[in-house]
Amino acid sequence: MTKGQTGARRRAGTAGNSGAIGGDPPTARAAQLTASPSLAAEQAMSGSMPEEAGIPGLRPPGMHPPRFMLPRMPQPRTWIMLLLLVVAGALILYPLAFLVTESLNVGDPQVFPPEEVGWLNYADLLEEPRVLLNTLLVACIATVLAVLFGFVQAWILTRTAIPGRARLERLMELPYYMTPLIGALAWAVLLGPKTGLVNQAWRTLGFGSDMFDVYSPWGIAWVMALFEGTVAFVMISAAMKSMDPSLEESSRVLGASKLRTALKVTLPLVAPGVLSATVFVFAEMLGSFAAAFVLGIPGRYYVITTAIWQAALSYPPDYGRAAAMGLSLFGAMVITLGIARLIMRKGSYATITGKAFRPRAMEVGALRWPLLGIAWGYIILAVILPLGALALTSFQRFATVIISQMQFTLANYETALAMGSLAPAFGNSLLLGIVVSTIGVPVIGILAWIIYRARLPGAAAMEFVLMIPQAVPRLVFGLGLLWAWINIPIPIYGTLWLLGIAYFTVFIPLGLRTIAGVVLQVDPSLEECARVCGASWGHQLRTVTLPLLRPGLVAAWLLIFIASVRELGVSIFLMGPHSKVVAPAIVNSWLSASSELSAAMALLQTAMVFVAVAILFRVARHVRGAEA
Amino acid sequence: MSGAAPRIEVRDLVLRYGDATAVDGISFAIAPGELVTLLGPSGCGKTTTLRSIAGLETPSAGAIRLNGETVWSATERRNVPAEKRGVSMVFQSYAIWPHMTVAENVAYGLRVRKASAADIATNVARVLDLVQMRRFADRPASKLSGGQQQRVAVARAIAFSPTVLLFDEPLSNLDAKLRAEMRVELRELQRRLDITSVYVTHDQEEALAISDRVIVMNHGKIEQIGAPETIYAAPATRFVADFVGAANMIEGEVTGSGPNGTLRFQARSGLTLDVAAEGRSQGSLVALRSSYIHLDAGTTARENGIPGTIHRRMFHGDFMQYVVDWPAGQLIVRRPPTERLEEGSAVTISFAPEHCVLLE
Repeated sequence: MTKGQTGARRRAGTAGNSGAIGGDPPTARAAQLTASPSLAAEQAMSGSMPEEAGIPGLRPPGMHPPRFMLPRMPQPRTWIMLLLLVVAGALILYPLAFLVTESLNVGDPQVFPPEEVGWLNYADLLEEPRVLLNTLLVACIATVLAVLFGFVQAWILTRTAIPGRARLERLMELPYYMTPLIGALAWAVLLGPKTGLVNQAWRTLGFGSDMFDVYSPWGIAWVMALFEGTVAFVMISAAMKSMDPSLEESSRVLGASKLRTALKVTLPLVAPGVLSATVFVFAEMLGSFAAAFVLGIPGRYYVITTAIWQAALSYPPDYGRAAAMGLSLFGAMVITLGIARLIMRKGSYATITGKAFRPRAMEVGALRWPLLGIAWGYIILAVILPLGALALTSFQRFATVIISQMQFTLANYETALAMGSLAPAFGNSLLLGIVVSTIGVPVIGILAWIIYRARLPGAAAMEFVLMIPQAVPRLVFGLGLLWAWINIPIPIYGTLWLLGIAYFTVFIPLGLRTIAGVVLQVDPSLEECARVCGASWGHQLRTVTLPLLRPGLVAAWLLIFIASVRELGVSIFLMGPHSKVVAPAIVNSWLSASSELSAAMALLQTAMVFVAVAILFRVARHVRGAEA
Repeated sequence: MSGAAPRIEVRDLVLRYGDATAVDGISFAIAPGELVTLLGPSGCGKTTTLRSIAGLETPSAGAIRLNGETVWSATERRNVPAEKRGVSMVFQSYAIWPHMTVAENVAYGLRVRKASAADIATNVARVLDLVQMRRFADRPASKLSGGQQQRVAVARAIAFSPTVLLFDEPLSNLDAKLRAEMRVELRELQRRLDITSVYVTHDQEEALAISDRVIVMNHGKIEQIGAPETIYAAPATRFVADFVGAANMIEGEVTGSGPNGTLRFQARSGLTLDVAAEGRSQGSLVALRSSYIHLDAGTTARENGIPGTIHRRMFHGDFMQYVVDWPAGQLIVRRPPTERLEEGSAVTISFAPEHCVLLE
């Protein structure tokens, strides 16, 4: 019999957030489907129907459901909790309410509240099917590519005995931290028409035209696929890992060949995982912004997200149309994600349990070298080549691959860190990252405790509300925040305050998931035991609860910091002339200044993120070490 | 129970979760120094009862008194929080804090009570000695095996000299051999410290072996309270007979009285048995313990012998289990492994009337 804690740990979901633009580890996001905390919470906390009330077998023995401990809590604490819930709920629902009203505004788009309401903004969407078709085309190509990348990587890394498998699996997280923005810039530098490094080399070799034009739907899809490939990888490899190896072994024992086993047993069992990964990735593609922006705007190739951006920030702004597009996109994504979830839940067979198996790796003989090459090929294309291209560009006066023409310089970095409005952008992003995570973690920590441990009535509804920002594309939420905060009589529009509040709001789900992961791992009896030993609630919190939650709190801090530093979708709407932040500054520099300067800025931002990621990995390793 | 005032008193305890009733009006009292087991299948309310005594559950009705003081009462609207009840508990998951050393875990209750450093050191050493874990004192608690965690959990629970010790299935996560060893050790420790204990388990063997008295529960109600021997030899209900030990159930009815104050019971199959009256004069069920039945080879038999045939023999190591065909169907019989009868052979079945317990 296993200990209850292990059971809880296995089921606990990890950090996650599905903002298409900013981000968090792919493991985490896939966890939404495979083991969302809410789902895990339902299982781990059949609290309303604990063991003694029946339903045996829902929990492993040794796991007591968290009990309702609230009646003894003194009043002030209850009030603080309620206040936090109300504030957090309002921060999320208020912008959404604005978005909905604005999408129905068919009068003067600048006036609030609307003078005339109607469905015209929605009807307009169908008038120009171009944008919708573009969106679908890009999303379809990118999904096919991403799932192909993910499936191949998952199969190689979970089922074949190639050298250095464990390390490669860790490296598979890196593409995720690259962000589509960095990827798009890098591939523009590599494959931009005429000036792209690869295209330059291609022409130098005597070919008349470009090898490939990245400013195209294919280019956008390519960049998105490299990024989402790792998400698909996580989901598909989870399906492959969760399969009991004895299912395949029994097929072999009963006389089926390797091939027959693969076709008749392995494939049907993995299929639901692959299918749900496909649908999930497709939903993410619909809401993706950065790559479509960097690679689509120069060629005036619009998808729905860039069209929203254009409608909202062109002059005169058409907020109604932007809001209608945003809400339609939100609706489409919710439906698609719902389908993905349904496939995962209904389609998967009961034999695929939450249990972690390590399927026996197949001996592949001499084939292992080509397979190793393929596995590394993805990492090279998704991480090493883009970063290399950005580095090469950032150190040159004019980016070129022709060695005789290279002029190396540090001027781009000097400009990025010293000149005009750019230096404050780095300072602001750093400041926002630190402040938002430092204030956010304790607040979200309390929210997580209320929802997942105290089991107040209505906890599920609270969780639902707090998780909303995750389902809304970041860009759309940014639009709602923009409109909402312009119309509020507090003069914080265009300040860092607003950005801070906005970041906090959109990162609530990220923090909540991360912290919920550890809250659910902590067996309630660890806390109960402290009480029975005579500790007061405060003493118990200090000596038992907080030390046990620390790894999760640190991880949440770092993840929110990383997400803040690279935030684009919300910032692009809320940034003012005196509150510049990095990601939109990079975009602006790309549109108006040189690619060399943008490359330098992109690398600086990536460096900030990677330092935080390195610390995160260290913390994670430390935690694993302590558990072992 | 002795004449001393009870240390734990539970009166008409009810606990509901929404529509489900986990504990349905149970009452019992436990004398100082006694070890009482709450025994029952999962979902019977035993753990909920224990947690209510600890203050970890809020009952819906009833009262709980510890050392004469009311710690929970629905009518008095009184609810003493867990940390003020002075009870201690060993959790099923052990609940060993992984971020502390063994000594820090054990010292927790003493530190909370603001004991002096010297007191803490002496007591930690004393209880770690008791559970033979002294040499692990400085080890991080996350680096312990299941059995070691169990010992630390017990040491932590007794370190601050609580008046009442609660055990929530403490041995269920150990393997069979270790479980048997720890059973002996726990009983030894409890006797030595003379500490009043409530012990929850679903393992009837464990309950019989360790307890002064056993409370058998089912569906939130108490089926029977009694010494282990009583529970085993004279089950009060069909549930107890079935749940505790191995028993054969024979349906039928009482048709009259037999010799020596026994009753005559006619089984459905037509077979007639003499059964002990034990205060009952009616009943439709007789429970017959498998190990109280004798089997003799051949048909030359004792008095009151019933003929049968060995259908199947299974060797269990400590005993031999036979499935015997007899006039009332099939009978499960346990005999010492030395009594070896061949499958298919004719036997004579016999048992004493006092081992036929009339139920319902």
